[in-house]
Amino acid sequence: MLASTIGQQLVNGLTLGGMYALIALGYTLVYGIMLMINFAHSEMFMSGAYVGLFTLQLLTNQTIITNAAKVLPFMSGMQSARVFFTGSGFGLFICFVIVFGVAMVAVGFMGVLIERFAYRPLRHAPRLAPLISAIGVSIFLQNAVLLWIDSKAIPFPKVMPVHDIKLGGGVSISTLQILILVTTLVLLACLDTFVARTKIGKAMRATSQDREAAGLMGIDINSVIALAFFIGPALGAVAGVFAGMYYGSVSFSMGFLPGIKSFTAAVIGGIGNLRGAILGGFALGIIESLAAGFLSSGYKDVVAFAILILVLIFRPGGLLGESVVEKV
Amino acid sequence: MGGSKMDIRTSVSTTKMSRTKMALLALAGLAVVFVPVVFQGMGQIFMVRIMAVIGLYVMLALGLNIVVGYAGLLDLGYIAFYAMGAYVGILSAEVISHVWPALAPFSYFISLPIAALAAAATGIALGTPVLRLRGDYLAIVTLGFGEIVRIVITNDAGGLTNGAAGLPRAGQMITSPFGLQWLIDNARFTGFGLDFAFSNNLYWYFIIVLLCCLTVFVVRRLDDSRLGRSWVAMREDEVAAASVGINITVAKLWAFSLGALWGGVAGVTFANFQQFVSPESFTFMESVFIVCIIVLGGMGSIPGAILGAIIIQGVPELIRGLANSGIVKLTAEQASLIGNYRFLVFGLLMVVMMANRPQGFLPSKRRAMELAPEDEKVLAEENQSLYDVEHQTETSDHDL
Amino acid sequence: MSMGKASKYVALIAVLVVMAMMVTACGGSTASTSTGTSKTATVKVAVGAPLTAGAVALGKGMERGAKLAIADVNASAAAKKAGITFEVFSGDDQGDPKTGVNVANQFASDSKVIGVMGHLNSGVSIPASKVYNQANLVMISPASTNPALTQQGLKNVFRVCTIDSVQGPSAADSASKDLSKKVAFVVDDSTPYGVGLADEFAKQFEKDGGKVAGREKTGDKDTDFKALVTKIGAAGPDIVYYGGIYNSGALLSKQLKEGGVKVPLMGGDGLYDGEYIKLAGTAAEGDFATSVGLPLDLLPKGQDFTAEFKKAYPGEEIAAYDAYSYDAATVIMNAAVEVAGKLGADKVSTTAGKKAVIDAVAKTDFEGITGKISFDSKGDTTNKAITLYTVTSGKWGPFKK
Repeated sequence: MLASTIGQQLVNGLTLGGMYALIALGYTLVYGIMLMINFAHSEMFMSGAYVGLFTLQLLTNQTIITNAAKVLPFMSGMQSARVFFTGSGFGLFICFVIVFGVAMVAVGFMGVLIERFAYRPLRHAPRLAPLISAIGVSIFLQNAVLLWIDSKAIPFPKVMPVHDIKLGGGVSISTLQILILVTTLVLLACLDTFVARTKIGKAMRATSQDREAAGLMGIDINSVIALAFFIGPALGAVAGVFAGMYYGSVSFSMGFLPGIKSFTAAVIGGIGNLRGAILGGFALGIIESLAAGFLSSGYKDVVAFAILILVLIFRPGGLLGESVVEKV
Repeated sequence: MGGSKMDIRTSVSTTKMSRTKMALLALAGLAVVFVPVVFQGMGQIFMVRIMAVIGLYVMLALGLNIVVGYAGLLDLGYIAFYAMGAYVGILSAEVISHVWPALAPFSYFISLPIAALAAAATGIALGTPVLRLRGDYLAIVTLGFGEIVRIVITNDAGGLTNGAAGLPRAGQMITSPFGLQWLIDNARFTGFGLDFAFSNNLYWYFIIVLLCCLTVFVVRRLDDSRLGRSWVAMREDEVAAASVGINITVAKLWAFSLGALWGGVAGVTFANFQQFVSPESFTFMESVFIVCIIVLGGMGSIPGAILGAIIIQGVPELIRGLANSGIVKLTAEQASLIGNYRFLVFGLLMVVMMANRPQGFLPSKRRAMELAPEDEKVLAEENQSLYDVEHQTETSDHDL
Repeated sequence: MSMGKASKYVALIAVLVVMAMMVTACGGSTASTSTGTSKTATVKVAVGAPLTAGAVALGKGMERGAKLAIADVNASAAAKKAGITFEVFSGDDQGDPKTGVNVANQFASDSKVIGVMGHLNSGVSIPASKVYNQANLVMISPASTNPALTQQGLKNVFRVCTIDSVQGPSAADSASKDLSKKVAFVVDDSTPYGVGLADEFAKQFEKDGGKVAGREKTGDKDTDFKALVTKIGAAGPDIVYYGGIYNSGALLSKQLKEGGVKVPLMGGDGLYDGEYIKLAGTAAEGDFATSVGLPLDLLPKGQDFTAEFKKAYPGEEIAAYDAYSYDAATVIMNAAVEVAGKLGADKVSTTAGKKAVIDAVAKTDFEGITGKISFDSKGDTTNKAITLYTVTSGKWGPFKK
């Protein structure tokens, strides 16, 4: 009994951890290159969920397509597309690809815009200035959604049939959980290869080591930073759409807690370190699920925050961070 | 040092005030005392309440200003100390009233130092390990701490806080403070179209004003003290400050715990003014509010904190009041929707301010200069924290 | 600091603020002096509820209920005879204690306000009630269930909703007797409302011979219950009780059923809302909620209310507290009409009049749309009827065995 509960909580924790890892990558990429905490990153996660939800509704919801067609006549053609998207497994797959693609691109560009207008003017300011600016962006985005979209939570439509697959020992994993885990791992592998193997990745690494020197070597610093601000939010958006599907609703305040926790994950793994963020994400997800399952749900957030504080105090470099050289 | 155009002594407040400035100050002082009395006489206790709430936020902003403005440490969990003050204040008042019933009317005044010290002690306990951290890490750690305090209170830790139901518990009351009843019974007059009777709101308004004056006095003295100057040095260039013998950790700890102390004072006062506390008053957004006040007003500036508190706490309530008076034709809902747009506007303002006017609306002179360093190199040196020097490898190479 | 640019800004802002304050104050006071010597008068019923932040769906319902009640009373013969007309004065407390007390002071500053129908959150109602007490204003809450509210010894505080110690046990009795459930898992949302309800449910359920397999806390804004669901599944209950509001309750229900824990979720009146079904979708089928009073359809006046509501607010759903707010506002206005008959309509908004309104409310004994309404010595309602509702084919309806 106990073993199966632990196993089940591990499955929950891995899924949660996958989402944390996706968000944590955004923090770590930006921190690695800019040395700033992008506090508004949690709102990228939230925005991703909303963009995903609206795209999905446009593709699959009959009434919404009909209403949209009243404003934009060409939308009426979507009705036949809807039949395709909801009709077969292949259609559903294409539908998901579109939903995630739109969310990633839209939120990615949002990230680039935010960097351009809120952070770039502060590149030479004292270190707290961009952090305060980022808090401002975060408050702005939350309230923009609250005032202009909806103050209530919006249910996320259930499009994908979810089945449980028995793993043995009383532990089961749902198809949705598998989808989340597989997508996460694929994206993480892609990013890792991209940064480690490609020329642009090399430029990113160079910029994170020494921005000035990289500039002197002919790297376009602004493009590299913009790229980091595209990739990070795009991955956050994927996590946001998954969160909507997994938990069943989206709301304007959904970003805050996952955002802080993913930052914790990035710190656990060593901020600035991509693989560290992934490790930290999964570690935190599992710890949190076990804490909720065996301590108390009421204290699961306390556990995450306490880990954040303890790691920062005792091992600020994180688990995979450089070994800390003490002053002699 | 960044803004080396100014002598360090210029800001020491021994400079003579001009006649106009003195007259203005006197006028402001009279307004602070008599405007609420007039409002009370007109039966406008709403206005008295709003002024008291603004005063409370002035106090909070001045307290946080010590941490953010003077020492240059961003504290995103300031509300934790406010909560600490409120809960310790009410609980200790409860104990006092139980053990020495005769002291019950004085319980606020006795619990005030207790709550303040408890908050300061919490500040020291949290600050000792975390103040070595780099500035942005510190901000996140304090945020986490603020959330932990709120969740622990909500979960009724140790059976002390009564969880979400709040304090005082059912059937218990906060004794009204010394002198209030006497004032309500005796301080009355009619005339000039006013019908004045003393009230709970007015009592707490004056206590808050007194505390604000005390805060301003202490903050100004601090600014001129040895400690204040070591904060300036530290804020401008941590490494240089350390190398001339300033103990950075101790200086930071002083700032952090003094800030916490004021949070505690504001907390216990809020609890008694409100006569009830529950965890829903101590959310992360409240912390952000106070940071907003300082950023808008100007870091390290006393008039700035006052202006910021008026903009952030006063204006939305005034819109509500104007809507009700029929001057502006708005329903309650529209009025508060406008009020709700304030978050949106504040968020945007924080971004715009950081880019265009990082010193705030009413900056302190010294701070304004620091925020405009003359060249890149100086800035890079100033931005380097002691932490980075001690942990060489940390920031220089990232294994992306 | 010289009289530089900065000081000019301050001076300008200070002048603007003072002017705004004066205008506000004068606006309020002219309104109060306009009550002339004539024997007719217009007075205000204040509605304090979260309208733009917090539990907005419920708060808007409170305002709707009060508005309907005001229209009805104004049209009644008794009010016309007494020469008194009522207006609504809404204040948005945003579910925040500090804002709530600001609103309370605003109500108290307007001399034409004769009573307050509000607030929703106990954390707001308790501190606000002290302000009303000093201003001699009667306050009737349609929704605040924290027992502390009526235990402060304030004569002006009443509520038409039952406290947790009635609703929780009643739900436990229904669960163990009507539904023959043996093992319950109890969850709350860390709000005063949810914790009180869940505690009382757990106590009574054990008394009835049931077993409480677990007791957990969550946050009222939580969305992730996956780990909790696994824990609940391992405990093997045949019912899950959730003390809290529909937002999170619906997600818990949804995730429970997705997580293979196919047992019904039960809760209090906080779940009894159309939003719950919207958010939970098909997972809501077979879930339960208790709510105070008898179902509107079974009460003669309730059907009238439903019809009237549909006419006044087409396309909107009756939320949990609409009917209570209607009754609470009616109680205040009936008392005011009674006082107007005795003292004269123009005297209702005087201090003596407001005190008389409080006394009249305390003696209320009337048939409201939610049942008979009268108050005990503390100000709690004597109406202890609780109805169990269940979701069938996407709609809340009374549970029939």
